[in-house]
Parts: sequence; structure tokens; C-alpha cells
Amino acid sequence: MSYLPCGIYQESYQADQRWWRTPFIKGKMISMVILLLIFPFIVDEQYLSVAYTISYYVLAALGVQLLIGYCGQITLGHAAFVAVGGYCSAMMVLFVPWPQFIVDAGLAYPISMICAAFLAGFWSVLFGLPSARVKGFYLIMTTMAAQWITVPLVITQYVSQIGGRGQAFSIPEGTLKIGPWAIDNDIARYYWSIVLVALCLLAMGNILRSKLGRAWIAIRDNDIAAETMGVNIVAYKLLAFFVAGFFAGIAGSFYISALFFVSPEHYEWFYSLLWVGIILIGGVGSIQGIVFGSAFVVLVFKALETGVLWISDILMVSYPEWGWITTKIIFFKESAFGLAIIFFLMYEPNGLSYRYWQLKNYFNLWPFSYTGKSH
Amino acid sequence: MDWNKLAQLLTTGVMLGSIFALVALGWVLIYKCSGVLNLAMGELTLIGGYVCLGLYQRFVTVMPITSAFILALIGTMIIGLILGLLTERIFLRKMIGEPILAVIMVTVGLSFFFKGMVFIIWDTDTQIFMPRVFSMESIEVAGIAIGEAVYVWGFVAAIILMVIFICFFKYTRWGLSMQACADDEMAALSLGVSAKFVYALAWAIAFMAAGVGGTLLGNINGLNYSVSSLGLLVLPVVVFGGLNSVPGAIVGGITIGVLQNLAGGYGDQFFPGGIKEIAPFIFMVIFLLFKPFGLWGWERIERV
Repeated sequence: MSYLPCGIYQESYQADQRWWRTPFIKGKMISMVILLLIFPFIVDEQYLSVAYTISYYVLAALGVQLLIGYCGQITLGHAAFVAVGGYCSAMMVLFVPWPQFIVDAGLAYPISMICAAFLAGFWSVLFGLPSARVKGFYLIMTTMAAQWITVPLVITQYVSQIGGRGQAFSIPEGTLKIGPWAIDNDIARYYWSIVLVALCLLAMGNILRSKLGRAWIAIRDNDIAAETMGVNIVAYKLLAFFVAGFFAGIAGSFYISALFFVSPEHYEWFYSLLWVGIILIGGVGSIQGIVFGSAFVVLVFKALETGVLWISDILMVSYPEWGWITTKIIFFKESAFGLAIIFFLMYEPNGLSYRYWQLKNYFNLWPFSYTGKSH
Repeated sequence: MDWNKLAQLLTTGVMLGSIFALVALGWVLIYKCSGVLNLAMGELTLIGGYVCLGLYQRFVTVMPITSAFILALIGTMIIGLILGLLTERIFLRKMIGEPILAVIMVTVGLSFFFKGMVFIIWDTDTQIFMPRVFSMESIEVAGIAIGEAVYVWGFVAAIILMVIFICFFKYTRWGLSMQACADDEMAALSLGVSAKFVYALAWAIAFMAAGVGGTLLGNINGLNYSVSSLGLLVLPVVVFGGLNSVPGAIVGGITIGVLQNLAGGYGDQFFPGGIKEIAPFIFMVIFLLFKPFGLWGWERIERV
């Protein structure tokens, strides 16, 4: 929570817990919504895919943030649950014999999304069960095992064989419909992702203000103390895994609309680590941090791609023997991402959201800012 | 029941497992001395393998195969030593005492960085040691084919290195200071042991062990990205043996090697595909539910 500007007091807890505490915040949020709505009309087409990739990472990292940042359960296998969501949704859309009126009403995709979210949630609870007994490094091991068991074994070997389509499911254009709108172009994908991100962030924020959220935070801060205070830690940990898996399912189900085909390579272990990296860059234990982290990672990747292409174009002309750089963009991206994580952890351990918080306070308290040590 | 097949699977399992045990030894050392849970072990084996391959290809043009390989191995260990000292100094020194997630993610970042660098410098294609260092014929003992020469020599090399490392811990001044630091850091510091030196030494030894492990693994199937996923198998190994137990790492390595081979030999007909790679992880999850601290790991008693 940032400090309020001078002269604004709250007289009840209700007022203190409100979403929009001052007219300025309200105005800020409304202008942000308007900006997001007109965004497709003011930028170039290619940035829309960047925008919905950011949204996808936000949705996926939401569950990671919940588990690591709010419940203290470190997970390194979240891509498995996103994969379950994506595959469940894709296969329901493709293989379930939907009655004609549901297809006409455009309900098949939304229904499959809800089912995917629940299935991913239950799958996540299954691998969260060891958290009742183990924690720390050992829990990391079990979540990693979730990744290895789900993606290379269950999905690649068994699920991909259903329907005899081989490794990849391609979804015919126009199959994914929500009501009358088909999700088949970048603008539709962008708006759909914005709606989902808004709903999920709102849900997450509200959960964290409730009894459930307070129990999770108590478990994160000290699980033994939480247990002595009467928090049923096993139940709440499993609930955290369920909700995290639920968000992951929504993320996976959303992203199939942007993929040409659904295949296991979109859910590799790299992505699990990427989402943990995103919340570390954005700030652990901060909802804004997810958005900042996702935006940072996607934009840096985009910039690297553009930069490497630009450099290699120059090199191609004058030094043709350096052309191999173009073929290795992905490795430059990986190396840069690795270094970014390391340097953020070393020099900015509180993440980007902490800087944002400082910035807000600077303006809220200006000109009489008291710059004490915080955090 | 085909006893010959079983015996062969068991022996190759033990020999493969000894390589895992060597890599796991380096992991356990880092954890014991500095408390860092290292997820970059797979990439360390990858680097070791490629460095050795590069050196070998240069040396083999001017000298016979055997001496070229031995020289390349020694060169790999020297480069591993330097890289280990650098890595510890640049990336890990600052992270002492930080929360577990931060330290783990630094090693994850290191693994991305190393992997990217390896594939920028060397290519992603599978590379093999040419000319072959070990012959392809299988060696027979008492009528049982115990696998190709590379397994046997890998086993021998791993055992020799493990003996050297254990002697190093038991009888040398540096090794004793590492033991002291692992046992009780505060007491070791007050007796004049330099903790920084011990951390650096632990990383250097881990790099060297992983380098040799990577070289041996690369000799078996050729070097490509899958070597680093074999390096990840070190995690089930250490979980099985207990995180801070050196004998646990050795027993765990051999157990996981045998288990992997048995799963590959007998499980493939029921679960086609990648059961061989996944079996250790499944085993690890089940094992964790019953014995969370491994065979000989220290139990942590928690207080509020």
C-alpha cells in the first residue's frame, strides 16, 4: 500500500480496503481502461501480438505469483498446468460432439475454457499433495516432477495420440467463437485477452482481501505460527494449488487461440522458469509486479529480436561470415534472460513494483517527502 | 525370465550410475559447504563435455588418441576450476544468506546463461568424439556382456575420481577446512577457516566433477542437449540419498542408474516412449512422500 496524499484520511477499514481510495486513483484507472480499449487503433498491427503475449504471461504468472508470492509454496512446474488447460480446451473444442445450438450460440469455447480451468486446478492439487509433508527444496522437486510427468510423458505420449493427429493439434479457423465473435484475428485476441486479464486480476485481488488470502499470507510468513493460530494449513495450501491451477488453465485455454497448432513444445520447462523469473523481476508478492514483469520480459525479448536482426542485417552486408548470429537468436534470448534474472536478484531484489511504489510515494508526498527506509 | 538381460541391465545401470554419482558428489559438496541448491548442474556437465571435446579435437591431430584424451580431460578440469572460481566470485558470493528462492533462481539464471552460451559457441547438432576414444565392442566377464568399453572405463574413471575426492576431504588441509565449514560454519570461521575460500573451492570441484561426468556421458551417446537433461537426474539422486550426505550421493547415483536402466528395459513395453527419462522423477515423488529427508539427510527440526 502506498502512502495517501496529504489531507486524506480513512475512518473505517472498509474505506481503507477499497479498490479506488481517492478520486485520482479512480481517474487513473479509468484512463488506463480507455487507453487499453483504443490501443489497437493507435499502434501498428505487429504490437498487438506483443500485447496479447504479455496478457498470456500475466495470466500464467498469476498462479505462480499466488503460490510463491502469497502462499510461499515454490513451484517450478507451472507450464504443466497451463499445458493441461490448453490441451483440455483444444480437445474439447475439437472432439466433443457439441449440439448444434451450442455451436451456433458460440458457447463451445467458453464451456471448454471453464472445464479446462477446473481440470488444470485438480491436476495442480494432485501435485500439490506432497506439500502437506514437504516444503522448500523438496517441494520444488515435486513440482518439477509435475512438469516432467505431465508434458513429456502424459501429453506427448498419450494425449497427443488421441484422434490420430500426431504431435500437434491444429484448430481450424473460426472454431473458437465466443457468442457471435470469432477469435481469429489479432484485434479479437487482444480484446479477449484484456477481458480475461481484467477478470482474473480482479478475482485475485479480491481473493487476497478475503479470509482465504489472509490465511495464505499467514502460511507464507510462518506456516508453523499459522497452524498454531488455527489455520488449516493443508487445506489452504491445496486450495492455493487449486486456484493457481485454475488460473493456469484459463491461461492455457486462452493461448490456444493464438497458436497455429497446440503441441508440447509450447509448454516446456523453460516456460515454468520464465514465469518464476517474471514474478522475480516484477516483484514477489505484488499483483502489479506480474504485469510489470511480463511487460519487461516480453518487451526485452522483442527488443533483442529486433536488435539482433538489425545487427545481423548490417553484418550480412559487410561481414557475411558473421551471418550465423541470425540463426542463434533464441540462444541470445535465453542467455540475456538468464543474466536479467541474476542481475535483478542481485541488484534489485524487490523487483520493479518496488520502484513503482517508491515513485508513487514520491509524488504522493511531494514536496514534503520523508524518505525513510521502508520494507 | 531372461537372467542374462537382467544382469546386463544391472551392470550397465551400476556403471551409468557411477557417473551420476560423480556429478551428484559435486552437487552435494556445494550444498554442504554453502547451502546453495544448484539447478545448473546439467549445464555444468554440458560445458565440461563440450570443452573436453574441443580440446580433444585439437590434441588428437598431434598425438596418439589415449594421451590426447587424457590431456583433454586434464585441460577440462583446469578450465572447470577456473570457471568454478569465476562463477562463485561473480554470481554466487553476493547471494550468501538470501532466501532460498532467490538463490535457486540465480542458479536457474546461470543455467539459461550457460546453455545459451554453449549453443552459441558450439552448435546444437550432436557431436561425437572422433576418432572414438573407446572401442564399441562389449566386454564380457563370466559370460555376461557387461556393456561397451566406454561404460567400463567411465565406471573406472568415476571410481578413481571419487576416491581422489574422498581422500582430498579426509587427508588434506583444504579438504578438512571444507568439512569443518560444512559442519558448523560459525565454529570454522572462528578457527580461522576462510568461508569464502571454501565456497570457491566447492564450486571449482563441482565444475571439475561435472566436467568429467559430461565427458563420459558425451562418450556414450554423443554430445547434445540431452546430456544436460541427464545432468538434471542429479536431483532425484540427491533427494534419494539425502541432500547433505556424500555416501548418499554415491549410493543414490548408482540406485538411480540401475532404476533408470530397469525402467528402460522392462517398462518400455507397457509405457512406450520416454519412461526411461521420467522414471527417476516418479520414483523421487513417491519416495519423498515416505522419507522426505532421503536416506541419510539431516532432519530439520523447526521451531517458530
